[in-house]
Amino acid sequence: MKYMSNTKWLLLMMAAPMFGWAQQNNSAGSTYFSNALFNTLLVVIIMLLILVVVLSNSIRNIIQSDYFKERFKKMKEMKSGKNLTLLFFILFASQLKAQTAAAANNTIGGIDQFTFYFLISIVLLEVIVVILLFNILRTYTINELSVVMDPEAKAAPSKPERTILDVFNASVELEKEEEIMLDHDYDGIKELDNNLPPWWKYGFYLTILVSFVYLIHYHISGTGDLQTVEYNKEIAAAKLQVEEFMRTSANNVDETTVKYLVEASDLEAGKQIFIANCVACHGKYGEGNTVGPNLTDNYWLHGGGIADIFKTVKYGWPDKGMKSWKEDFSPIQIAQVSSYIKSLVGSNPANPKAAQGDLYTEGTTPAMPADSTQISALPADSLQKQ
Amino acid sequence: MELQKFSYDNKIVKQFAYATMLWGLVGMLVGLTAALQLFIPALNFDLPYTTYGRLRPIHTNAVIFAFVGNGIFMGVYYSLQRLVKARMFSDFLSAIHFWGWQLIIVLAAVSLALGYTTGKEYAELEWPIDILITLIWVVFGWNMFGTILRRRERHLYVAIWFYIATFITVAMLHIVNSIEIPVSLTKSYSWYAGVQDALVQWWYGHNAVAFFLTTPYLGLMYYFIPKAANRPVYSYRLSIIHFWALIFLYIWAGPHHLLYTAVPDWAQSLGVVFSVMLIAPSWGGMINGLLTLRGVWDKVREDIVLKFMVVAVTAYGMATFEGPMLSLKNVNAIAHFTDWIVAHVHVGALGWNGFLTFGILYYLIPKMFNTRLYSNKLANMHFWIGTLGILLYAVPMYWAGFMQSSMWKDFTPEGQLKWQFLDTVTKMIPFYAARAVGGTLYLTGVIIMTYNLIKTVKMGQFTANEQTEAMALSGEYHAHAKDHWHRWIERKPIQFMIASLVVVAIGGIIEFVPAFLVKSNIPTISSVKPYTPLELEGRDIYVREGCYTCHSQMIRPFRSETARYGEYSKAGEFVYDHPFQWGSKRTGPDLAREGGKYPDSWHYNHMLEPNSMSPGSIMPTYSWLLDDDFDAAGIAAKIRAMQTLGVPYPEGYDKIAEADMMKQAEMIAVGLKKDGIETEPQKEIVAMIAYLQRLGKDIKNSEKAQLTK
Repeated sequence: MKYMSNTKWLLLMMAAPMFGWAQQNNSAGSTYFSNALFNTLLVVIIMLLILVVVLSNSIRNIIQSDYFKERFKKMKEMKSGKNLTLLFFILFASQLKAQTAAAANNTIGGIDQFTFYFLISIVLLEVIVVILLFNILRTYTINELSVVMDPEAKAAPSKPERTILDVFNASVELEKEEEIMLDHDYDGIKELDNNLPPWWKYGFYLTILVSFVYLIHYHISGTGDLQTVEYNKEIAAAKLQVEEFMRTSANNVDETTVKYLVEASDLEAGKQIFIANCVACHGKYGEGNTVGPNLTDNYWLHGGGIADIFKTVKYGWPDKGMKSWKEDFSPIQIAQVSSYIKSLVGSNPANPKAAQGDLYTEGTTPAMPADSTQISALPADSLQKQ
Repeated sequence: MELQKFSYDNKIVKQFAYATMLWGLVGMLVGLTAALQLFIPALNFDLPYTTYGRLRPIHTNAVIFAFVGNGIFMGVYYSLQRLVKARMFSDFLSAIHFWGWQLIIVLAAVSLALGYTTGKEYAELEWPIDILITLIWVVFGWNMFGTILRRRERHLYVAIWFYIATFITVAMLHIVNSIEIPVSLTKSYSWYAGVQDALVQWWYGHNAVAFFLTTPYLGLMYYFIPKAANRPVYSYRLSIIHFWALIFLYIWAGPHHLLYTAVPDWAQSLGVVFSVMLIAPSWGGMINGLLTLRGVWDKVREDIVLKFMVVAVTAYGMATFEGPMLSLKNVNAIAHFTDWIVAHVHVGALGWNGFLTFGILYYLIPKMFNTRLYSNKLANMHFWIGTLGILLYAVPMYWAGFMQSSMWKDFTPEGQLKWQFLDTVTKMIPFYAARAVGGTLYLTGVIIMTYNLIKTVKMGQFTANEQTEAMALSGEYHAHAKDHWHRWIERKPIQFMIASLVVVAIGGIIEFVPAFLVKSNIPTISSVKPYTPLELEGRDIYVREGCYTCHSQMIRPFRSETARYGEYSKAGEFVYDHPFQWGSKRTGPDLAREGGKYPDSWHYNHMLEPNSMSPGSIMPTYSWLLDDDFDAAGIAAKIRAMQTLGVPYPEGYDKIAEADMMKQAEMIAVGLKKDGIETEPQKEIVAMIAYLQRLGKDIKNSEKAQLTK
């Protein structure tokens, strides 16, 4: 019983600082849960906590088993000594926390130093506790067991030992099975009434607790981002990142600044993009096919200037089935493929598709063809929106 | 009390055992063919009946309802009789059950090959077969409860709790999810639309896993492991807690199949937390199974039955731990729509269901034929080939899934998507090939088993009616001094069934009622209009060809998806989708905003020969769409059905729908002609193009409308 209350006390000690932390960082709290390092540490902490609870319970089970009822009294002194050690470590950890709190300034792996060291110290503390408990367990089971059983061992050498697994599961020893055998008999199947394995039971409690915390986090306290907010944040962060990159990059061209690239390397890069992405609809040599128009003549549906082609590739003409490629290729790549396309004009490939659009001469802005949306548009019947 | 003589019916068990083996072979062979088609698309032989979109539902239905289904009945009919000390209630009902179920399987295979499908995963069968399933299921329940009520054993053993929960829950799931309005004998529309259809469908889909692949098999585990190991069940109280917790919690977890979709956030969160809470109850079953073997592990090394069962229970433990992990939103964001999920379900199917079935077969056949197994060596070979097959199947799929997902999400520093979708597909091909090797090994193992068991049957002498005797139950029950409180309900099968029904009904009710009644869950979008008759016809062809088995129609709110496919999907966009077609796997790209992405001519060429438009594509050819005419005369009935479902077509529209349909078809044919493609307007390809060009357009129109304002 005494050990049980110790476990609870231990849990409380562990949990208390976490609540303190949660309050402290209320404003920034939501971002922590999207941090991989933070989540990993949290998971490690929880796993170790489960281990601590399991080990404590195993020890309790051992202590309460018949083997140790006798020896229990003799060990009392030793036990309180170990408790003291535990207490010492916990106190030590809170000291550590106080120290690191003072030096909180920078971030580590996306979370601030204080939180990082705090979490790490909890992990360390738990590891120490686990090692400690393991030692206690080992002393209580393996060593002590053999001592206890030694006199008997000579008499009945085949008697199986109580394994660590049995201790973990709080199973009743095989040879004592009859005591928990129920009077059930179904086609010869009998049933034992073993305890619920403590790790299983507390694991179950933990998942229920986690579920409540989860629902509160996302739906009551409003500290968790639901998917739309999460999405908006992701987009904003990506935009910032790209802008930052573009500021320092020479890659930045748009339809107002694009120039016809005549360098062989640019045209070759453009050609590779063309072969990989454009030939299905515009033919191997840009001659056009049943899908896309001929790119090698002087007639253009959306203008034949380098800026026009750039714009067509970048934004597409969705109504006519030309896809926008701005999410697929960087501005410089679009400039390269546009330049390559422009270089094809006048190449006179075999099987050219008939001319479509208007004759383009350098320097004029293209006129929009009147029927540009008609080709694949659906009929405006009684149901179709106007 | 008098000693009564009676016999157990082994004949029905034998029949189900043979059916299990037969359908196992068929289902796995179909699965292997589908797996091969993923890297050799030509293996569809250019026939509609053998194309992936129709083959995959045949595979899933065959292994779930034919292989595992017969496996369940085999195990239940054997164990139930012995656990309650009574012969099956009626040999006649047993026969109807057996032959009825086989008829359903044959009808299912034929109708799915012909393209008669509701388009809802794992519930593809059309309404006449749905009704037949309901009838046969009732026969099963009747027979089971009749047997239980005539029992000579006062209390129901834990295995029977699982059988009862299975019976009642599957009945509930099947009926609720199959509510559909018939248009003809072979065509119906789901009663539900869009988000609601998705919620109902995955409540069903998830719990088909729970109550068809899990609970009955846990029941079988509780009978066959203690019998084969000759050990008492580890913990009675663990049985009680994990049983009730499992059936209560499982029902709620359906929405974890719909994370980051247009389903309301609260429903998604319920899906997450109930999945997390499921770990312990699921593992309760594993623990009780494995710890029952305490003290006889040396026997496991020798006994082939126990070997299979231990791997099965371990696979169950792995799959039920992985499941909750996949239900975490950040893991799901990576794994969903990829082959990771395929790996996950196959660990469950090949490991848990497959291996447990094999274990039971190896146990039952020699027993019923009063002989020993023909060859232990062959059985061992089966065990190792099967285990290796599972590994070779799962590992490449995990790898492939993770890799493809990473590629989908990859951006260049300039902010562009790093990979075209097609790049991510061609990278999958070696993994698909490795998976097929794994599948081949597994199937080889099953063939070896079949040979081994046939030889065993030939060696033995079958006992059709196993004579036995037991005391009749005396009228009243006097509890011993200290009776566990749960013993009460174990004496009351009917109360037990009602209690299970109440427990499993709660989750569904709490999730559905708000989703159906509260308007804010599905905000309406005014620009979303019903499909035109031609588009509706095209949609039916899309459903018929099983396009949803490879293409999703659900853009999740991630940068990587909106950059690739366009604005993320909204709940209001699907209000006229009977059934919803969100899909669960992206072997090909998402199609939610396919409309207007390519010209009509692109789609025409692409259906004829996908590789011409997307070099390296693994999509099969759909040349028959270019040859076959759609059913223009049938559209009136479809419009009327849609009107019944609340789709706002104007009064009397069914009469002019056909004319409207042909007008739109003409326009598409004229447009194609301009690009040099000659086609008659009434060809199926025209309807298909109309539907594909409509997808996701409504919201684009609303954006345009807002811009012009």
